[in-house]
Amino acid sequence: MESKHVHQQIAAMRQSFFDEEVLDEFFSQLEQLEDQNNPNFVEEVFTMYFRDSTTLLETVEQAMKTISITFAKMDKILHQLKGSSASVGAKKVLNEINKTRQVLEKGNLEGTKAGIWEMRKEYESLKAKLEPYFQLKQANSVPQEK
Amino acid sequence: MAPTLPSGDQASDQDNWDNGRLARKRQLLTEIVLRNRLTALVVDGDTTCRVLEQLLLRSYGVQTQGVDNGRDAVALIASGVKFNLIIIDMILPVLNGLEATRQIRDMGVHCKMLGVTACSGESERQAFLAAGVDVFIEKPLDPEHLVPILRELDGQ
Repeated sequence: MESKHVHQQIAAMRQSFFDEEVLDEFFSQLEQLEDQNNPNFVEEVFTMYFRDSTTLLETVEQAMKTISITFAKMDKILHQLKGSSASVGAKKVLNEINKTRQVLEKGNLEGTKAGIWEMRKEYESLKAKLEPYFQLKQANSVPQEK
Repeated sequence: MAPTLPSGDQASDQDNWDNGRLARKRQLLTEIVLRNRLTALVVDGDTTCRVLEQLLLRSYGVQTQGVDNGRDAVALIASGVKFNLIIIDMILPVLNGLEATRQIRDMGVHCKMLGVTACSGESERQAFLAAGVDVFIEKPLDPEHLVPILRELDGQ
């Protein structure tokens, strides 16, 4: 009974990611690639994504503090973040990246700073939502809903 | 589990279309059997993207190799290694995807090349196609684009 309750909780958490548009259909695509041989695949992918994206975000945030900012270099980093965020289905993070790149393209420095702040906010929100979800899944070895 | 329809009210046409599209995507992910052993090179500087693209290909039985920059991709092809498919990003470290694609084509390589990139502008699309990719796909690489190409390469 308790196990069923936990599974329902996990399913509800997962559904909330889509309802709140935190994740999109590409997250489902990742889940499709998970199987018995690799039951924690999605979590491993997100571990990789969070590790690399944290470094990229920190680089961009550091760059905003320097006097001379290379917009081209910043755009390159944001571009990379865009690709990886799109690939894991991180919808809200992706939306903020796209908005920030548009502002950066216009040379709006203050707008770019604000955009990066929003990106960081959505990114941290995503991590905060997914980490307990994966922990609960792993602790209860939930078979993937397809 | 697909995102569910709104409870209570009649599902809208848009909801029905979205759910139908998701169902078709899931079908594509599972319903393909390749008769031949295909090989693919994935060229992407981002680890997450490269790993995911390789895993997606492997889920269809495609043997893959991955490199994280354009120079290594060109060197690998120049060494004589052959692939049925090359998936290449536009923005790459060391040697960018446009130049890497040109150099690969200049070597006389005629295999299918997919430009899979986070770039979405028409000028980027035209530039990548002009450099030599056969298909331009905005990231992420998904089964809807990939499966028909694999079937074509498999001679189905």
